[in-house]
Amino acid sequence: MTTSTKCEVTLSVNGTRYTRLIEPRYLLADFLRHELDLKGTHIGCEHGVCGACTVLIDGKTSRSCLHFAIAVQGSEVTTVEGLASETALHPIQEAFHQSHALQCGFCTPGFLMTAKEFLAENPDPTESEIRLALTNNICRCTGYANIVGAVKLAAKALREGNPANERA
Amino acid sequence: MNAHEPSEGLVGRSLLRREDEHLLRGRGRFLDDLPEPRHTLHLAFVMSPHAHARIVGIDASAALSLPGVVAVLTGDDFAPLIKPVTTLINHPSYRPTGRDPLARDKVRFVGEQVAVVLAETPYIAQDAIEQIVVDYDVLPGVSDAREATLDGAPQIHDNAPDNILMADEFKTADFDAVFAAADVVVEDEFKIGRIAGLSLEPRGCLAMCDHIPGAVTLYTSTQVPHLVRSALSVHLGISESLIRVVAPDLGGGFGIKSQIYPEEFIATALALKFRRPIKWVQDRREDLLTSVHARDHRYEAAIAATKDGVITALRVKMYSNAGAYSSFPFGCAMEVIGPRRYVPGPYKIQNSFFRTFGVCTNTAPTGAFRGVGAPGTYLVLEGLIDRLARRLNLDPLDVRLRNTIRPEEIPYTHAHGGQIDSGSYVPALDRARAMIDYDRFRAAQPADRLVNGRLRGIGICQFSEGSGFSTAAWRARGLVAVPGIASALIRIDQDGQILAHVSHTSSGQGHGTVFAQLVAERLGANYDDVTIVQSDTASVPYGSGTFASRGTITGGGAIIRAARELQEKLKRFAGFVLNVDASSIVLEGSRARRSDAPDVSVSFAEIGKVAYSFDPMGFPQGEQPGLEATAYYEPPMATIGNAIHIAIVSVGPEDGSTRIEKYVVVHDNGTTINPLLVDGQVQGATAQGIGGALMEEIVYDGEGQLLSGNLLDYLVPTALDIPDFDLAHMESPSPSTEGGFKGMGEGGVIGGLAAITNAVADALAGTGANVNCVPLRPSRIVEMMDTAK
Ligand code: FES
Ligand code: FES
Repeated sequence: MTTSTKCEVTLSVNGTRYTRLIEPRYLLADFLRHELDLKGTHIGCEHGVCGACTVLIDGKTSRSCLHFAIAVQGSEVTTVEGLASETALHPIQEAFHQSHALQCGFCTPGFLMTAKEFLAENPDPTESEIRLALTNNICRCTGYANIVGAVKLAAKALREGNPANERA
Repeated sequence: MNAHEPSEGLVGRSLLRREDEHLLRGRGRFLDDLPEPRHTLHLAFVMSPHAHARIVGIDASAALSLPGVVAVLTGDDFAPLIKPVTTLINHPSYRPTGRDPLARDKVRFVGEQVAVVLAETPYIAQDAIEQIVVDYDVLPGVSDAREATLDGAPQIHDNAPDNILMADEFKTADFDAVFAAADVVVEDEFKIGRIAGLSLEPRGCLAMCDHIPGAVTLYTSTQVPHLVRSALSVHLGISESLIRVVAPDLGGGFGIKSQIYPEEFIATALALKFRRPIKWVQDRREDLLTSVHARDHRYEAAIAATKDGVITALRVKMYSNAGAYSSFPFGCAMEVIGPRRYVPGPYKIQNSFFRTFGVCTNTAPTGAFRGVGAPGTYLVLEGLIDRLARRLNLDPLDVRLRNTIRPEEIPYTHAHGGQIDSGSYVPALDRARAMIDYDRFRAAQPADRLVNGRLRGIGICQFSEGSGFSTAAWRARGLVAVPGIASALIRIDQDGQILAHVSHTSSGQGHGTVFAQLVAERLGANYDDVTIVQSDTASVPYGSGTFASRGTITGGGAIIRAARELQEKLKRFAGFVLNVDASSIVLEGSRARRSDAPDVSVSFAEIGKVAYSFDPMGFPQGEQPGLEATAYYEPPMATIGNAIHIAIVSVGPEDGSTRIEKYVVVHDNGTTINPLLVDGQVQGATAQGIGGALMEEIVYDGEGQLLSGNLLDYLVPTALDIPDFDLAHMESPSPSTEGGFKGMGEGGVIGGLAAITNAVADALAGTGANVNCVPLRPSRIVEMMDTAK
């Protein structure tokens, strides 16, 4: 194996700093999944369309399959593993559960990250604003209606500072 | 749910899913998330860029010189390891097309695998793929099924000179006379585009040798672990007892993962040969090139009717594009033999004539995807009914009503012998009509046809959904190597916890929740005491696996039978402990009580102590230790659910865009265990139907070059394309299945495709456009309108 071309990259992921020696062509998605064992970031297309690999880079949603890890050197990355505490789901996660907004769950981490950024910017969205925001992500199982409902429910919970424990 | 909630009434309750939390936390374990054993080798495939070509030579020397590349193997290397895979179909016309795991002399579709690389990392494996030089002698190719049957078309397999792999004919005795005597005949041609199942998780597998000599374990993204085990055994020549197949979490399946693929055989054979773990995970392009596609049907069809709109006969000629090989294990049997068994479904059409052909072409093999042949067949039938209504100037819903099986006519037997044992056809139609305010829409339509520059239309699809096929039902389709059984093994441990092993694999359906609801209710246990185990052939008894909407019917049936047997045993042990006869014991809330003295009871945990001989009282004489029961279930021929979809759309006459304004679904799948999850299935399936109606299409050029190998070219619906659905359930339990369940996972695709297509056709009714080809992409709608001008 060639190790000569490897370089050092340092990132902060979910609040922890990591330094690893990797090839410059190593994708951020692969870095998170295989170097850091954060397998919640999923790869559904590897060409920037499906959104399953969505993470937050310095607070902004980004497709981790389109970035080289080295290119986001020094950034703060948040993945799905950074949402919940050990004891409680994040209100957006709780709203997805209450709304039956996931089936296979493969797309779910990407939707959660998209919803997190979206609700931070637009705490009281209309249904059409939600649908527009969600077009960044593909779900093949649910038909979206319950995801839209979950985002609505999460918005309400976040506004009211409550966990989303009411059925939509 | 809290642990002390009573077990009564669990079936029929919309419990939230217990699967959710780990998936929401990103702790799902999909194939690519499994811990990689040390020394894992990464497998990658060299795929043909040509649709039809002879392989002249393969030069791997440059690839082999790359550091980290361990081996390159070609078709000949696998010849001693893996037998060619041949789909068995018992039909006089059928010509089997054996497929080598890697192409040897000739490639027959773009993406067919010709060589493999084994390397230390996936990145190196990809580098090596690019260094392998394959010399091809390119042959003319053909991608269209009808063209492939014409004289002079390229011949793909030596044993099929006309490229027809299978042809079937079915004609009722009186067809010709009835058809000839009809007042009116409407006919048309229809074309259904080729689509991809596109599970969001692509396919992959991880094979490794076991600690038992000669044994091997394959983790694979499959819906059918036992069928994979059997296929590996047959084709690799190893005993089934030495093979373990495990399906981890599946990121969707929809049928494409119920097929068994060359990669699964190859990874397993390589693990045994190199004695190192072998891992392969495909990317999306590879998925779109090599996972089975579906549909790609052409129809020439007609219905005959009286002038009052009573349909007397149906004629269908259909070409189904099978792709380059019969996919395994279903081949093209379901498309070729299925249609005459799906229809006339809800309708009393007693005369029919079907001619159907499965044709091979230089395209990826087609196979199972949600709905299989039914969406196309109903698109044709429902489309013809609308044409009939327009011809006779009758309302299309009234024409349907006139021909629909009425409640008093159930049980109803179709001309092909299929029996409808229950259902809510007319009531469902009435209900959907009211929900969408159909009559008001129709009354206002002449004045409101054009609103804000958009043409509005309403479309209906009424259908029945056959599912839960028995062994006999598979045999009736010629499928001699597809079993129809399911199993359940329920065990109560000595702490009273219940583990139910069910031979189904969830790809998002929520089996872990619904099966636990059923086990708890049928056993008299607390829901929280029940855990469902699936998808591992080492712990779950044999079953066909999960496809064709069989989960609840067959898995549910097996659970009910195993629970029944286990209850008897629980009662005997409880009788021993409480010193009464077993017949005076009732089971509820994970306790056994005396029916005459409900305060006197013993918990399942206490019974467990006795059954596993941990109890100071000792062990009852003559009883078998342990608390477990295994049952297999073979369903009746098939269950038939029913549903109706009605959609209102608007179409932009200039840009050809379609917007869905309202969508109602009324469906009946018999007994429902969890309505919330059923709604989820209906919504998800309908979205896929809408995708097939409006945008999804795998496109090959005429010679077989794939033009839609990524998600920018293969469009699937997003949140902006799918409406909110207005859903209603009816419940007509099947009298023939355990539990009264009927399948429901596929209906949405059937309904979504035809309801949207018919709504677009209705919107364009005044323009002369003939809407007979899906998907109805904007460009195609514009083209249809231009042609009409
Ligand atoms: S995997 Fe990154 S967008 Fe699909
Ligand atoms: S839940 Fe399966 S892709 Fe969204």
